Amino acid sequence: MGIEQRRIDDAGLARGMAALTPEKIAKTFQALIAGECGARLRTYVETCMRCGMCGPACHYFLSHDGDPSYAPVGKVSETMWKLLKADGKVDPRVIGDCAQIAYTECNLCRRCMHYCPLGIDTAYIISVVRRLCHKLGVTPMYIQDTAHSHSATLNQMWVKDDEWTDSLQWQEDEARSEFPDLRIPLEMEGADFMYSVIAPEPKFRTQLIYQAAAIFHTAGCNWTMPGTPGWDNSNMAMFSGDAEIMGRVERYHFETAQRLRVKRIVMGECGHAFRAVYDVGNRWLGWKMHPVPVVHSIEFFWELLDQGKIRMASKYPGPVTIHDPCNVIRGRGLMDKLREVVNHICDGVVEMSPNREHNLCCCAGGGVINCGPPFKNVRIVGNKAKADQLKATGVQTCIAPCHNCHGGLEDIIHHYKLGMKLKFLGDIIYEHMEKPGAV
Amino acid sequence: MRELYEFAVGPMAWAAFGVFLIGSVIRLISMYSLARKKDGPFLSYMSWRFGLRSILNWLIPFNAQGWKENPLVCVTTFVFHLGLILVPLFLLGHVVLWDQYWGFSYPTLPEQAADIFTIAVIVACLVFAWRRATNRTLRFVTTGQDWLVLLIAFLPFLTGFLASQHVGPPLVMTTLHVLSGELMLMAIPFTRLSHMIFGLFSRAYMGSEFGGVRHAKDW
Amino acid sequence: MRRVNVVAAALLLAGLVWALPALSQEDMKTVPNAAFGTPQRSAAVFQHDLHNEKAKLDDCGACHHGDDGGKPDPASPTPGQPCAECHPVDAKGKTPLMRAFHRQCVGCHHDSGKGPLTCGECHT
Repeated sequence: MGIEQRRIDDAGLARGMAALTPEKIAKTFQALIAGECGARLRTYVETCMRCGMCGPACHYFLSHDGDPSYAPVGKVSETMWKLLKADGKVDPRVIGDCAQIAYTECNLCRRCMHYCPLGIDTAYIISVVRRLCHKLGVTPMYIQDTAHSHSATLNQMWVKDDEWTDSLQWQEDEARSEFPDLRIPLEMEGADFMYSVIAPEPKFRTQLIYQAAAIFHTAGCNWTMPGTPGWDNSNMAMFSGDAEIMGRVERYHFETAQRLRVKRIVMGECGHAFRAVYDVGNRWLGWKMHPVPVVHSIEFFWELLDQGKIRMASKYPGPVTIHDPCNVIRGRGLMDKLREVVNHICDGVVEMSPNREHNLCCCAGGGVINCGPPFKNVRIVGNKAKADQLKATGVQTCIAPCHNCHGGLEDIIHHYKLGMKLKFLGDIIYEHMEKPGAV
Repeated sequence: MRELYEFAVGPMAWAAFGVFLIGSVIRLISMYSLARKKDGPFLSYMSWRFGLRSILNWLIPFNAQGWKENPLVCVTTFVFHLGLILVPLFLLGHVVLWDQYWGFSYPTLPEQAADIFTIAVIVACLVFAWRRATNRTLRFVTTGQDWLVLLIAFLPFLTGFLASQHVGPPLVMTTLHVLSGELMLMAIPFTRLSHMIFGLFSRAYMGSEFGGVRHAKDW
Repeated sequence: MRRVNVVAAALLLAGLVWALPALSQEDMKTVPNAAFGTPQRSAAVFQHDLHNEKAKLDDCGACHHGDDGGKPDPASPTPGQPCAECHPVDAKGKTPLMRAFHRQCVGCHHDSGKGPLTCGECHT
């Protein structure tokens, strides 16, 4: 019980801690609290009644047989309260522990919001801890690498400018053997929408770009993709606590859409990217809501099916179950549209319990999977609860319209030998839609 | 003891209500101005509709997911707060004091109902204490202040009940009761009991974010 | 139903038999509370003669005051007149009976520094 018993070696954390002094920690902490924190943090810290109701909200807590150090309140107690009590006068080791808890034992999924009568935003408190760790340079190596990549290339995976357009042209080439007149329009000003993806798509999931292009082509969409940086909608700096880089990435993303004079941005099936443009990046940049309308794939597919632009030739043989990604369900309320789409394209749905806003987290999001191999087991062991939930549905296929969720669920499906297939909506729509233009 | 009682219902009562009311107002105003200064963008999401929607939904027992999965806390919390509001405001013995000193009165709880609510609050406090002492999560996060505020809330009800049942010398019991009630009033703005002042706002903020921006429920 | 009525009548009778002596002041043990209908608290303990002896009260008007344009007038005593005549239980704009009792008793105890002050000392 407690972080002391489960410390994990990470090169980034170790390097960061080695460079710290207690004076530097105290100074940084005090400046952060005085400069960036206000009534929210003060109210949350003061009014939390330590009732423990949030425990069963957390998949880590459930998966570790109610170990209190995994309860949301336990994690806040081990990090922010400890720091506040000491006014930041702590050893570097404490910062290392705070970092491990904040980056790898909380997905910022906000499920605990449904458990706290006082509406205390645990995810916000943990974000502040991450912000401190970032300022102190104590960040897990892998996620820091993605933040560096965002900083240098404006995408998450060090994709170079020419590699980006090359990958698109390659996928266009591939797709033209199926749809001879298919284009992936680059830099087409005034298109109806700009399609944005996360960097892992061009890097190693290029078939998703192919599928999306096939769907848009079949639906007769007037769309475009940017040929310049700003195409990546992912944002790991948001999770590493690097708000400055986070804001820069989002500004480029919005400005790219504005430069192309598109009516809106359609995003691929990614959750955290949606969070970044929908209620984090825009706020940092001073926009109450996103300056360019943003639509998640779930909603966009729903429109295409609703308007009859895409017709299904067959249904995916079910039954399937639906995983509700936190950032588009708790974060955007797309649970009904998601169900309507899935029911339209699949043959039968078995709901998980609990589901919709109360669905258990994938344990990969919030930057946790991006902390890389050292913490893989933290995610897998920490999400036995989700594995049990998946298993209880008794179905062979799970639909998860989010990249991070895919990463997390794939690992637990493999580890707990659930033998389930994992699908994006785009996978199924592409496979089972009518393709009038295909050869 | 007579002097102490006269002090408790005289100057001390003025002080206690003053500290409670003025303290609460000052804390609210200073928290609001802090919010304006540091959380301004977040204040702009506050919405009456979604704030109230969230508060109402959390006021229904077993409605929110948290209540559903913590049935004991749910029942105990509702019973405790119901008694905590009803008994001090509507107990005959309290209204009689308003009547005697200020010449106004309003409907009161039947004495039996007040007894039941009082016992319920006392039992609820014991349940809270039992959980705090035995529940793993609570033991992990409990601090001295958590025990202190529980004691502060417990004492007025215990002493009030004992006084009403004529246990012990009435003057002594009643004096202890008045003093412990005043202690609680004065503690509200400056301890965790301040969730009485801020709780509705933090709930309403979360409700506004979930309802107005995220289009999802927060219960 | 008839049995309930019989029981109620018997109880009423018993109550009257018990209550009648209380009307004679010499044996007065409690403040008369019949005007309240069904009071929530027991009648306040009050032994008239003993109280006045201890309090050295000879002047009836100290408690049984008269009325001076809406203000109590100790100079025109009103012994024998039921308090509720001037102080009905529901006295809109005037002093209702309960407030009159509480102010009369507790007020004097407060001023004189003697006698009970808290609920349980009278409503035993």
